[in-house]
Amino acid sequence: MAAWGLRIAVVAAGLALGAVCAQEQAVRGQGSSAKAGAVEFLYPEQVTVEAGKPAVVKLHFRVAEGMHINSHAPKDEFLIPTTLEFPDGTGVKLERAEYPVGGEFAFANDPGSKLSVYMHEFEIEAHIRAEKGNHLVEAKLHYQACNNTQCLPPRTATVAVDVIGK
Amino acid sequence: MKRNTIVLGVVLFILATFAWAGWANFEFRQQAAQLRLASAERGMLVADPQGGPPEYVSPLVGKPAPAFALEDLSGAKVSLASYKGKAVLINFWATWCAPCKIETPWIVELRNQYGAQGFEVLGISADDLDRGDAKKFGEEKDEIAQSATKMHIPYPVLIDGATLSDAYGGLDELPMSFYVDRNGVVVAAQMGLTSKSEIEGNIKKAMGM
Repeated sequence: MAAWGLRIAVVAAGLALGAVCAQEQAVRGQGSSAKAGAVEFLYPEQVTVEAGKPAVVKLHFRVAEGMHINSHAPKDEFLIPTTLEFPDGTGVKLERAEYPVGGEFAFANDPGSKLSVYMHEFEIEAHIRAEKGNHLVEAKLHYQACNNTQCLPPRTATVAVDVIGK
Repeated sequence: MKRNTIVLGVVLFILATFAWAGWANFEFRQQAAQLRLASAERGMLVADPQGGPPEYVSPLVGKPAPAFALEDLSGAKVSLASYKGKAVLINFWATWCAPCKIETPWIVELRNQYGAQGFEVLGISADDLDRGDAKKFGEEKDEIAQSATKMHIPYPVLIDGATLSDAYGGLDELPMSFYVDRNGVVVAAQMGLTSKSEIEGNIKKAMGM
């Protein structure tokens, strides 16, 4: 009899604990999604290159589902192009960046106007030259994102890469 | 005896767990109330239970439109109060906003259609402006003017729209429109690209038609 009481008590305690955890998760979940950016840097986190020599690093990014960002060459003069910048004084110089060609996108209410955008995943080839040593580069990706009906203000994402020049 | 002690311990544990659950539930309700309060001050998209596009719900609808006085492209101050007695569409846009460029020609057409009946549009640019750097500020203002000219906007274009973000429930996404009736009350709000007919419907609502 006592054994049954014990089992029921343990199950009840487990259910109560589960309910509390679920509530906490629900509250936390509501606040976190709004702060997420539209572009996520995927990889690489670390690269090793020959010091003083030109090298190519392929930086991979993902655009949030349902969103797009302008390509490096948008078709409208006022739209903000996606650009990559390396800060000065890090021991790694960005000599040039090669951007992918954008895909075509049109808003449903204006199918005739095609925009040049990046969606899903894309990569930028950074042509760099690194000094000897270990350099944590915090590059900046400037972009402006929209979905099917609205646009977010221009944003800058940090692209952190550990560059080892040997 | 030992079994009784275990059962007693478990019962106490359950009571403590339920007390904790009760407290956590109270905390949860408090946090949820705070979130509701926060969303009441900011506009938000609400999912359509029928599966249609989400509806933008603004806390401003039914309330007087927040007053403002902003510079137009010539540097003159333009206030919302000076349009009292008219139905006004306050349209937030930006040079970098592609859907804004789709809806603007519709707004221009509707303004031309209903202007004589006491309807006006205030196009408020939300582009960032660097007022600390005169040269850059001039260039940024020129860019807004060029974009407005390219879209043949005949109504006043005001700048510094970002300063109205808090008053207008957050301008995190564009385009954003507020329809103000002849008494200065917001009767409808829209976020994102909709359709010309929806804009026209809201204009008629603001005009009391």
